[in-house]
Amino acid sequence: MRVLLVEDDRMIAEAVRTALEQDGHVTDWMGDGAAALTALGHSQFDIVLLDLGLPRKDGLSVLRQLRERGDATVVIIITARDDVRSRVAGLDGGADDYLVKPFDLDELAARMRAAVRRSAGRGDPVITHGDIRLNPVTREVRKAGKPVALSAKEFAVLEALLLRPGAVLSRAQLEDRLYGFGDAAESNAVEVYVHALRRKLGSDAIRTQRGAGYFVPR
Amino acid sequence: MMRSIRARLLLGLLLLVAVMSLMVGSITYRRVLGETSDLFDYQLRQMALTLGDQASVLSGYPLPPQSENSDFVIQIWDIFGTRLFSPELPFVTNAVLGYSDLTFQNERWRVYVLANRTSVIQVAQPWSVREKLAREAAVRIVVPLLILLALMAVAAAWIVARAMRPLKDITTQLEHRDIHGLAPLAAPDLPAEVSPLVEELNRLLERLSGAFASQRAFVADAAHELRSPLTALSLQLQLLERARDEPERDLATSRLRDAIERATHLVGQLLTLARNEPEGMAESTSTVPLGAIAGNAVGDVQLLAQQRRIDIRLEVPAEISVKGDAEALRILVRNLLDNAVRYSPEGSLVQVRLSSRPGQAVLEVTDAGPGIAAADRSRAFARFYRAPGVSAGGTGLGLAIVKAIAQRHGAEVTLDQAQPQGLRAEVVFPVASGAP
Repeated sequence: MRVLLVEDDRMIAEAVRTALEQDGHVTDWMGDGAAALTALGHSQFDIVLLDLGLPRKDGLSVLRQLRERGDATVVIIITARDDVRSRVAGLDGGADDYLVKPFDLDELAARMRAAVRRSAGRGDPVITHGDIRLNPVTREVRKAGKPVALSAKEFAVLEALLLRPGAVLSRAQLEDRLYGFGDAAESNAVEVYVHALRRKLGSDAIRTQRGAGYFVPR
Repeated sequence: MMRSIRARLLLGLLLLVAVMSLMVGSITYRRVLGETSDLFDYQLRQMALTLGDQASVLSGYPLPPQSENSDFVIQIWDIFGTRLFSPELPFVTNAVLGYSDLTFQNERWRVYVLANRTSVIQVAQPWSVREKLAREAAVRIVVPLLILLALMAVAAAWIVARAMRPLKDITTQLEHRDIHGLAPLAAPDLPAEVSPLVEELNRLLERLSGAFASQRAFVADAAHELRSPLTALSLQLQLLERARDEPERDLATSRLRDAIERATHLVGQLLTLARNEPEGMAESTSTVPLGAIAGNAVGDVQLLAQQRRIDIRLEVPAEISVKGDAEALRILVRNLLDNAVRYSPEGSLVQVRLSSRPGQAVLEVTDAGPGIAAADRSRAFARFYRAPGVSAGGTGLGLAIVKAIAQRHGAEVTLDQAQPQGLRAEVVFPVASGAP
């Protein structure tokens, strides 16, 4: 998944980022609210981890503005404010979940998966599509019951496509999920990963919409 | 010693009433006694005169026999000394004309003797009778006074209780409060003697409530601020646990060390701030050479300055001493320097200058950093204030500590724009006149 981490504390941000990257997520870090809104305007993220006490623009304002412009990106608030009023304000302000500092990295990962799953309208954590089963928790993919070995990037592309079956994702959108702002993307990387996925899962697994992008058939 | 104003008032009033009643009673008694004595004397004389007029008539007619408890003993003689009338009992005869006192049969008598052309008349009355009558008259006057005394006691008790009611009301209000009940006392229509007390009490409550609120805010702020370093610590530890290889483990360990250092620093700063709160520890005052202290503080931040290639220039034209706590003053200068070094661009210059004005010692710390906008300068001294958008890893307590220490030393801290760019912090200490 592509994650936007909005946190003004450098140490916390570094730790969360390291953990997310170990889990195979692409993570961008913004240290203030205004920069976070700009980043959200430019790129598509699967999930935003939002601190509330931010310089320049506080977290609740960021959330409000995000929702006002019709952006439904999953948002988990991560904050030191543990009082009920703040939690209610955060959730009512459009957050999908609320996590109080200090928190456990495994719990954060689980809540992220749950929030994304709910937003995709699924109850089962395992994404099933035809005879392909993708487990975001174990990062395991099976084709007709047999495990398929995928690289982290291949997994990310497949997960992005399976989360919204039928929806066409452009090459740029897929690149967004594979690379953070600082990473340099190779020009034909997405084609390479799609090709590899077709080889491992069958050529019908991923279709090409000419001039638009890729999708998995419904 | 009696503690209750009410009991004291009551006892005082009752004693007063009792003494007054005693005095009035005894004066009345004496007066009545004197007046009845005159009256009885007059009565004696009148009786004698009346008898004298009728003595001729009386002769030959014996008067009715006088009973033993009769008030008067009357004797009449003719001019030849023949007793015309006498009591059945033997009684003294007195030769003295007019009033006299005599004793007969262990009893004192008042006697009046009158002589006219034909006879001598003696009328005698026992003193005991006169005194008994006088006493009775006196008692008739004193008894109502005593009843009045009892009534006054009851009235005094009531008046005192009424006068003390505002105090009692306030006591009741205070009794029903817990330690959080710091609202001012509601006491309308207070008597002039009690209202200053209640006003002062209310002012004290107000100050207390302010101090409580600021303490609560401090604890809440501190708890909140401790969460970030604790979160960082816990996250770094989790990363260390899930590290898969040596480089990851090394990175996690070094970050964990940083996180511990940061938490330690914050706790240290909190402690320093608490120690330098106005209500904090007692002053440990000595004569402190500011120049030497500034030199020590420069040494404290030297490592950080070297890392950032920042040159610190210390100017002490002449040593100036102030009265104060050397350790606290060193922290003050160190915090100003720490900020200056952290916020200055790499390779820039930080200046520390000590100078004196009449009656003042001035310490200046100037950096070439971004400075603080004029609108934010007063807020910069608030606890946990951090300059917006700047992340220099500070606790947000440095300037709050500087201010607290300055206040303890009667010094004034101001921030303004350095020329051409940067922040200039100025601490002005009062110096006792006569000192260098």
